[in-house]
Amino acid sequence: MKTIRIIPRLDIKGPNLVKGIHLEGLRVLGKPEDFARYYYENGADELFYQDVVASLYERNSLNSLISNTAKEIFIPLTVGGGIRTIADINSVLRAGADKVCINTAAIKNPNFIKEASRSFGSSTIVIAIEAIKQPDGCYLAYTDNGREHTGIEVADWAKKAEELGAGEIVITSVDRDGTGLGFDMQLIQLISEIVSIPLIIHGGASDESNIATAIKEGKADGVALASILHYNFIQNNITSLIGKEEGNTDFLKSGKQFSRITPTTIKTIKEFLNKNTISIRL
Amino acid sequence: MIENKDVLKRYNLPSEVKFCKKCTISNQRPRITLDENGVCSACNFAEYKKTKFDWDKREEQLIALLDKFRKNDGTYDVIVPSSGGKDSAYIAHELKYKYGMNPLTVTWSPHLYTEIGWQNFQGMIHTGNLANVLGTPAGETHRKLTKLSFEILGDPFQPFIYGQTNFPLQVAVNYGIPLIMYGENGEVEYGGDMKNAFTPTRDYKGDHKKHYFSGLGPEDLIKYGISKNDIAPYMAPSDEKLNKLGCEIHFYGYYKKWIPQEFYYYCTEHTGFKANPVRSEGTYSKYASLDDKLDGYHYYLAYIKFGLGRATSDSAHEIRDGHLTREEGVQLVRKFDGEFPSKYFQTFLEYCNISEDYFWEVINSWRSPHLWGKDEGGNWKLLHNVSKTGLKD
Amino acid sequence: MKNNNDIVIIDYQLGNLFSVKHACVKVGLNPIITSDKKDILKASILILPGVGAFGDAMENLKRLDLVSPLKDKVKMGIPLFGICLGLQLLFEESEEHGTNKGLGLIPGTVKKIPFSIENRKIKVPNTGWNTIYNKNVSEWNNSPLNSLDQNSYMYFVHSYYAKPANANDILTLTNYDGLEYCSSIKKDNICAFQFHPEKSGKNGLEIYNNIKIAFQ
Repeated sequence: MKTIRIIPRLDIKGPNLVKGIHLEGLRVLGKPEDFARYYYENGADELFYQDVVASLYERNSLNSLISNTAKEIFIPLTVGGGIRTIADINSVLRAGADKVCINTAAIKNPNFIKEASRSFGSSTIVIAIEAIKQPDGCYLAYTDNGREHTGIEVADWAKKAEELGAGEIVITSVDRDGTGLGFDMQLIQLISEIVSIPLIIHGGASDESNIATAIKEGKADGVALASILHYNFIQNNITSLIGKEEGNTDFLKSGKQFSRITPTTIKTIKEFLNKNTISIRL
Repeated sequence: MIENKDVLKRYNLPSEVKFCKKCTISNQRPRITLDENGVCSACNFAEYKKTKFDWDKREEQLIALLDKFRKNDGTYDVIVPSSGGKDSAYIAHELKYKYGMNPLTVTWSPHLYTEIGWQNFQGMIHTGNLANVLGTPAGETHRKLTKLSFEILGDPFQPFIYGQTNFPLQVAVNYGIPLIMYGENGEVEYGGDMKNAFTPTRDYKGDHKKHYFSGLGPEDLIKYGISKNDIAPYMAPSDEKLNKLGCEIHFYGYYKKWIPQEFYYYCTEHTGFKANPVRSEGTYSKYASLDDKLDGYHYYLAYIKFGLGRATSDSAHEIRDGHLTREEGVQLVRKFDGEFPSKYFQTFLEYCNISEDYFWEVINSWRSPHLWGKDEGGNWKLLHNVSKTGLKD
Repeated sequence: MKNNNDIVIIDYQLGNLFSVKHACVKVGLNPIITSDKKDILKASILILPGVGAFGDAMENLKRLDLVSPLKDKVKMGIPLFGICLGLQLLFEESEEHGTNKGLGLIPGTVKKIPFSIENRKIKVPNTGWNTIYNKNVSEWNNSPLNSLDQNSYMYFVHSYYAKPANANDILTLTNYDGLEYCSSIKKDNICAFQFHPEKSGKNGLEIYNNIKIAFQ
């Protein structure tokens, strides 16, 4: 058989884990190390670190976090954000990551995918697509953390990325990101019908039932989750703030809940999926 | 040939450009001051707010104020001037659902609504369940004024600003609602005249012309060939009428911590707010000031006049909020500041009925020699910028 | 106390060695990572990891002059553990990017995972968790899997799989969406896994721990 992977996705800015909506806003929810450890010990199949400001600030700063993670956490780690060159990929892998996730650099220079998969193996190269639905109903790909218009249609791009040697696709619905309104099934099915490589879906997961539907009908191979897991973690755990309190920490300090999201745990999700005959690692 | 404007004199700017040590703003922002440590008044105020303000006490003051004005009979008891953007939608929603007021949002129409702006405006009304009065001035007159203010003031936004300031006052008088709740006190939050730093109110009698109209009120346009009747919709009601009403203009930012990014989250939660799919031209963000197609030209002209574009003002206040480090802000300014708003350029030219050449003539007449020079390729460049890569840095 | 140079992770410039090292460290082993054949010749345990292309791997091993030292050590009876590509390299040849010759330590070949099975599309590479099993319990117990339950989950990421010529060399099988294939091998002092024990959570760490126990 083949199991579906549940992958917590951690958006990172500097020392903090942040969570936006529509890939905007840098609300701090805590330290990524705390979340990572918790998810590893509680059923995560893989971890995904995304440096959400790397493209914006033209800097790469995750290496020490990656190494610290790889020393203690023994499940696969995918790292994305600001990966632009073969040297960047090498640096991130040597720091302890298993896969790299590329968006902006690949769209700007598709040949980079070919180069990268030739050098490191297809299975190491994940291509991320940030999709926004247009008024006419078609989906276009964006770069730089959902900021820059490219005019490229997502299904065409996904197919091309696969042909160039990508080992996996992560499809993010920017419209649904952080909203808890549910996955965009139309978008998922659009990509799923086209690619033969593993597909990870991301953006808007609302609850266990929504995840199950997306896996069954969308034929996803993995599900990347953020808001519904992170808001649960902060509800039930004390998260330490960095000494200088860098970043938008007002929400965390307020002790409020974010009503749009129904928090849950990986365990709850996996139990539900299992009951609904979805193959999952328990 | 358009006469070059004496920007230094008009805005009373220091001739030597200096940047704040903590944020990305420079001493060229009108009325801002830098202290002996090179830190701007807005940063100092932000620091002061963090440590010295008692927000609990301030909230008590707010509640006492609202208790005074609350009607509880279904009629509106507070006006919230609003564009449908996140800041005002947050204020109106919280006033209604947390403090039991009955707000009337009052909108002075943007020149040309963007799709996302209209969507968010409707979201505020339908998802946020907030009542609204929308004032739209007669189109041709408005365009005439826009063109005129672009020419003489170097800011096409002036007629919008008149209405944004005065229309809520008109509605207050016409509907009999004395309390008006604005968001933040821009002068105080973004570095300007600090005289009102410790008062919750705005003086409708004294400060408008200086702080908001750049010294040129609607009545001053008469000497440029605009009729008195044309200008009437842009005027504030008389002081007598406002006094009789007992009008009070307050700043929510005095009573509540002003964190625009959190208002974004709040509004996605409560008023159906959606960020723009792409970042706004000239900056990095997707959720601020989205409603007017001509928006970009107001910010672009500020960049020309003061060397301070949209990325500068956005990053400066995010640095003060603690969301960005100065280094990050500088990088954002380097990347985006002064980016020309090309998306609606043709629209702008058509709206003002001017040619591209004329547009650039006006723009260039606002380039002060103490800020601008030409590089070897003959391109305009700032003499000084926050990354220290200006022509004379 | 065993010294540092005893456990050698062979670095032929392909793959995430950081995690292999830290999995060893986590269970109390102290390996070195090296491309130097002198270190390999001194080793008491060899670990051959790897992710990437078969052809590139063999080329690198040859260029670094590691092929003979490796084969010699194996002949001497030194334990060799292969991971992922490190398993595949042990075989005679692979059909990846044309036909490439391997180390030839295990009879058999390496084949590509098909794109469809019984008219059903399957995803390649095989990326994710799956179970390993072996009906022969004594083989299981006589390997670094001994403390684990049958059908334990391990993490796989590969597009090719090994086909040993001798069934006796198969240590575990795995069923990926209808394709049953060899997921680990054991032949005398050679033991290799198609999956990544250093990425298989607590199960994987147990394998490293069992290697350490056998070593001491």
